[in-house]
Amino acid sequence: MADEIHVTDSLAAYALGCLEENEIRAVSEHLATCPLCRAELASYVELTAQLGRSVPQTEPPAGLKQSILARLQVSDAKIAAEQEPSWWERLRSRLQGSPTWAAASLVLILVLGFSNLLLWQQVRELQSGVPASQEQLKTVVLDGSAVAPGATGMIVISLDGMHGTLVVDELPVLDESHEYQLWLIEENEERTSGAVFSVSPDGYGSVWVGSPQPLISYAGFGVTIEPTGGSPQPTGERVLGGKL
Amino acid sequence: MDYSGLDDESLLRLIAFAKTDALSEFYDRYSRLVYSLAVFILDDPESAEEVTQDVFVRIWEKAETYRAEQAKVSTWLTSITRNRSIDVLRRRRVRPEGHRVGWDDAALETLPAADLPNPEDAADKFIQAQRVRVAITTLPHDQRQALALAYFGGYSHSEIAAALGEPLGTVKTRIRMAMQKLRSILQEDRLDV
Repeated sequence: MADEIHVTDSLAAYALGCLEENEIRAVSEHLATCPLCRAELASYVELTAQLGRSVPQTEPPAGLKQSILARLQVSDAKIAAEQEPSWWERLRSRLQGSPTWAAASLVLILVLGFSNLLLWQQVRELQSGVPASQEQLKTVVLDGSAVAPGATGMIVISLDGMHGTLVVDELPVLDESHEYQLWLIEENEERTSGAVFSVSPDGYGSVWVGSPQPLISYAGFGVTIEPTGGSPQPTGERVLGGKL
Repeated sequence: MDYSGLDDESLLRLIAFAKTDALSEFYDRYSRLVYSLAVFILDDPESAEEVTQDVFVRIWEKAETYRAEQAKVSTWLTSITRNRSIDVLRRRRVRPEGHRVGWDDAALETLPAADLPNPEDAADKFIQAQRVRVAITTLPHDQRQALALAYFGGYSHSEIAAALGEPLGTVKTRIRMAMQKLRSILQEDRLDV
């Protein structure tokens, strides 16, 4: 019980970390059930931080910040290299490891995207008389930028290149005043909006991609964060990008 | 986006979303604190530089684990810096008898205000640090010595008692009384403001 014996006399030493192992265990157990001692401890924890802030101030070396930022990029690249599975490995992992509803929604997203495209191809096949099975759907993988290194995406493009479905995964959830916007990028760097979309709390999302010209004619694709409703041209940070 | 107007907690949320510009701003605010504490504990600028790098990389990787209800950002950061520095110290196997870091007169002298981007912030930090230094000067030498070995050296009660050749109970009392007195003085200062 918390009210048996308080550990007040040990809290300063606990905050400093100078108790012995058996004392630490006893104090920790008491703290788990005693709000009074937890409040007392908080004041000593703050005091230890004040001790740290009182030392003579020394200016860090000039290049230290750049070294840290460079180390972050190396670290991110290393993590990406070690952990970067293929799209299908990611999908399989999701299906095996995520809650049922998450897997079901992802499957639904992909099935809907592919079935829409296949339906459109059947119409085209009937119109042209050319068997679509002799060709393949084009896909473009989008990689997360430094802003969203864990994010990934894919655009599945119909056989005639005029339609596509974008599926994204692990994008950060944005506030109500922002949405993601897909940009279709031409060789001359001109950008046309392809879609504006949001993601689920888990970072999943899919959207039909509209285009004034065949999607396969673009040099690449990018996704940026824009004010809700989208922008005429990119204004926010890029979160995904890929080349055809 | 201008990150300089954001509070520390908002910056950490953005760091958790891998915003390097947010970490850059966080570094501008706290690199002096982190580096200064590491230099003071380790007495070695090169090791302090490594510790500073480790601390900010850890912030980058663990920003989402920060809980505002448990501690202020600066308290959390100071704790990470102190623990990381003491880890390095332990790897060097420095014994308490050989540990020279503490609150000597030079360390407690009035120091110039930190040259931070925000003058009001710099002045506030300077005043707070100065209050702590003044409070430390009121401690008897034996309490200050035991507290310095615990705080800057990371030594346990028994290690400090052995190093000072004092009974364990005496060392425990010195450290407890030092902390109680400092807390009392600094709480009174806060009420006076």
